Amino acid sequence: MKKLVVNLILYSILIVFSLEILVRIFHLTKDYPVRYVDEFGVEKWKPNQNGYSVTGNRRQNFSEYHINKFGYNSYREFNPSRDKVEIALVGDSFIEGFHQNYYNSIGKKIENKLNGVEVYEYGYAGYDLADQLHLIDQYKEQFNLIDYVVLGIKFENDFTRGEYNVVEERMVLESPAYKAMRQFKLLVYLQNIGAFDNPRELIGKILSREVDDAHKLTKIEEEKNQKKLVHKYIENFESLINIYGFDKAKFIFLLDSEKTPQTFLDFLNKHQFKYLDFSEALKKSKTPTTLIYDMHWNNHGRSIIAKLITDYIKINIKKKQIIF
Amino acid sequence: MVFNSLEFFIFLPTVFVLYWFVFKKHLKAQNILILVASYVFYGLWDWRFLSLILLSTLVDYYVAIKIDSLEEKSKRKSWLWVSVIFNVGLLGFFKYYNFFVDSWVDMVSLFGYEMKSTWTLRVILPVGISFYTFQTMSYSFDVYYKKLKPTTDFLSFAAFVSFFPQLVAGPIERASNLLSQILNKRRFSYDQTVSGLKLILWGLFKKVVIADALAPMVDDIFTNYSSYPASTLVLGVTMFSFQVYGDFSGYSDIAIGTAKLFGVELMSNFNFPNFSRNVAEYWQRWHISLSTWFRHYVYIPLGGSKVSKLKSIRNICIVFLVSGFWHGANWTFIFWGGFHALAFIPVFLMGRNTIYKDSVVGENTFFPTLTELGQVLLTFGIVTFSRIFFRSESITSAFGFINRIFTDFSYGTYNHPMGYRMIDYYILIILFVIYEYIIRKDERSPFKFKSKGVRFVIYTIVILSMLLFYDSNIDRSFIYFQF
Repeated sequence: MKKLVVNLILYSILIVFSLEILVRIFHLTKDYPVRYVDEFGVEKWKPNQNGYSVTGNRRQNFSEYHINKFGYNSYREFNPSRDKVEIALVGDSFIEGFHQNYYNSIGKKIENKLNGVEVYEYGYAGYDLADQLHLIDQYKEQFNLIDYVVLGIKFENDFTRGEYNVVEERMVLESPAYKAMRQFKLLVYLQNIGAFDNPRELIGKILSREVDDAHKLTKIEEEKNQKKLVHKYIENFESLINIYGFDKAKFIFLLDSEKTPQTFLDFLNKHQFKYLDFSEALKKSKTPTTLIYDMHWNNHGRSIIAKLITDYIKINIKKKQIIF
Repeated sequence: MVFNSLEFFIFLPTVFVLYWFVFKKHLKAQNILILVASYVFYGLWDWRFLSLILLSTLVDYYVAIKIDSLEEKSKRKSWLWVSVIFNVGLLGFFKYYNFFVDSWVDMVSLFGYEMKSTWTLRVILPVGISFYTFQTMSYSFDVYYKKLKPTTDFLSFAAFVSFFPQLVAGPIERASNLLSQILNKRRFSYDQTVSGLKLILWGLFKKVVIADALAPMVDDIFTNYSSYPASTLVLGVTMFSFQVYGDFSGYSDIAIGTAKLFGVELMSNFNFPNFSRNVAEYWQRWHISLSTWFRHYVYIPLGGSKVSKLKSIRNICIVFLVSGFWHGANWTFIFWGGFHALAFIPVFLMGRNTIYKDSVVGENTFFPTLTELGQVLLTFGIVTFSRIFFRSESITSAFGFINRIFTDFSYGTYNHPMGYRMIDYYILIILFVIYEYIIRKDERSPFKFKSKGVRFVIYTIVILSMLLFYDSNIDRSFIYFQF
């Protein structure tokens, strides 16, 4: 029995070690850029980093990212000026686009369609409206030079708070413990392929059984709660607008109307907040618009979004002499 | 609980530690542990059906003692019938009741009578019922044929019936093999345990990498067969051949490996059936425990091949049709059984049904001869074709599938339903076949290489492959659970 235990341990260590090497050789898992909070309290990526984003067990999606001097994933630097037309895309991971080559982003696609226009992508996974407006507010000088600002929003995620503060949960990922764990590529790989989903589910099941039973809601109660939540989110939205202001001429939301409550859409319409709805455009597509392994837009999906923004800009642009 | 679940990976080491460390010195305590563990293993799926296992155990325990105590053949036979009627009745009710009602209604409607199928019941099929009822019945048969003395140790007998490694999908053990091991003291053996762990690893590989990876494509092609070209249908049924093999033989390997951890040797259930040179050899290598069961308790009692050719053919047909029906209450399985009978009979008539019994393809050389290669491909083709019936939802779909292959042959590239690269799967199947060919001489030693280094590299590749093809979103239950 002793021999069995010793050999099992020995073989397990050797196999884990070999797998770690193989995961590194074949680059089966993604790199993590370093994040930080700058002197203005804006959370972003440490400038000038390069790496690869990987999705799928067998590296089905493999793309390079490049964090520019300003701290966002983009092939270009952000240098707005009065004599150019610039568009800012501000949003979460969909704008950040780690799942695409940074030379093939939504911004680049727009630039290819709009000659001479520069597109700045301020994308950061997890950014909600508070993050976005805080960023714009802290870098007023830069954003004052930018002609159009497109804010990507998802109602269910982006209105949960009415004021900005640094999201500590995200910054925990920069703690020494997390950093050390990320050095262990096999662990990162296992997490990415969902190997820990079952243990997590099992623990969750055990812990939540009693809670679930005690808090089962009726359908009516759920609807009531949902209504309350929508109102709460609208209040948060108003609060953020009051704090940071909102340039209705320059700012436009990018959203999916199918995933946005009608109450909120009515609110936007009533108060003349502009929005671009990509729901129809994506739905009409005959080929898939998202990646295989996650819900982010694939190349085709990004092209559709880029076209939607381009069309809007084309219609609205008046002030510069640019040939399209 | 299923073998490829997290629960099992907590359950198995726990039982192992208790078995060898806490109850090591007491056989009775070890058997009680096996019994309790088996009931927990099964009860976590649905504890209500534990009563059926218990009932089946009680009946056959008592019947066997009764048979043994009687001398008069007719009385012994009557008691045997009690076992048969009880077990077949159990199967009949839980597995076939609705099928018989529906078939009756369909038949009556053929004669112009309209009848509403109001007698069908919402019966849940208890997992493993076809396996444990056959196992308990075999015990009564063996006692009846005086091949075995009945045990008076009820707990050990109950542990034999419910032994968790093989409870839900076999191998269907005969009491002469399994019960005798349960009744005798087991000793811990390093080699046996390591061999068990290797089989578990190989079984998991076959399940996770082969069966689960192919499942989404097979499901897609069989569900939407009417919209795919014939080439895709051929691809679909070929993939199903590998899927069902990976799934069931993977399960059997894990079962045999798990039993080894407790010092118990189960019979082999698969012996590289994909390298069979004719249909008869295939049945000596596929689901061996079921084939053996039918040979011992149906084919031979009917006279086997020691009767006239015509009667032998009748016996073959009966065995295959019953075997098909055993798999499920659907005409598709009966057609599948019938198809195999038709494929088997010519081999039998040519006297070639046992010629490959003790050899493997490429017996004395590494590569097969061209003749052998042709035979293997032909057999694989026949078996794969029969699986159209096995996999289709209904007999109409099966014939629709076949019709589309033969009357509308066209070629088209197939794309994975989730958009994954198809080349990965083609390479996977080719490498799997090559590896199985290399290890074809010993089904119980999938990693039998002299060099420790080679073995280590293979373990690493096997585990890496499991990670590369693991999909947390896939339904991971075993196909044969439904039987």
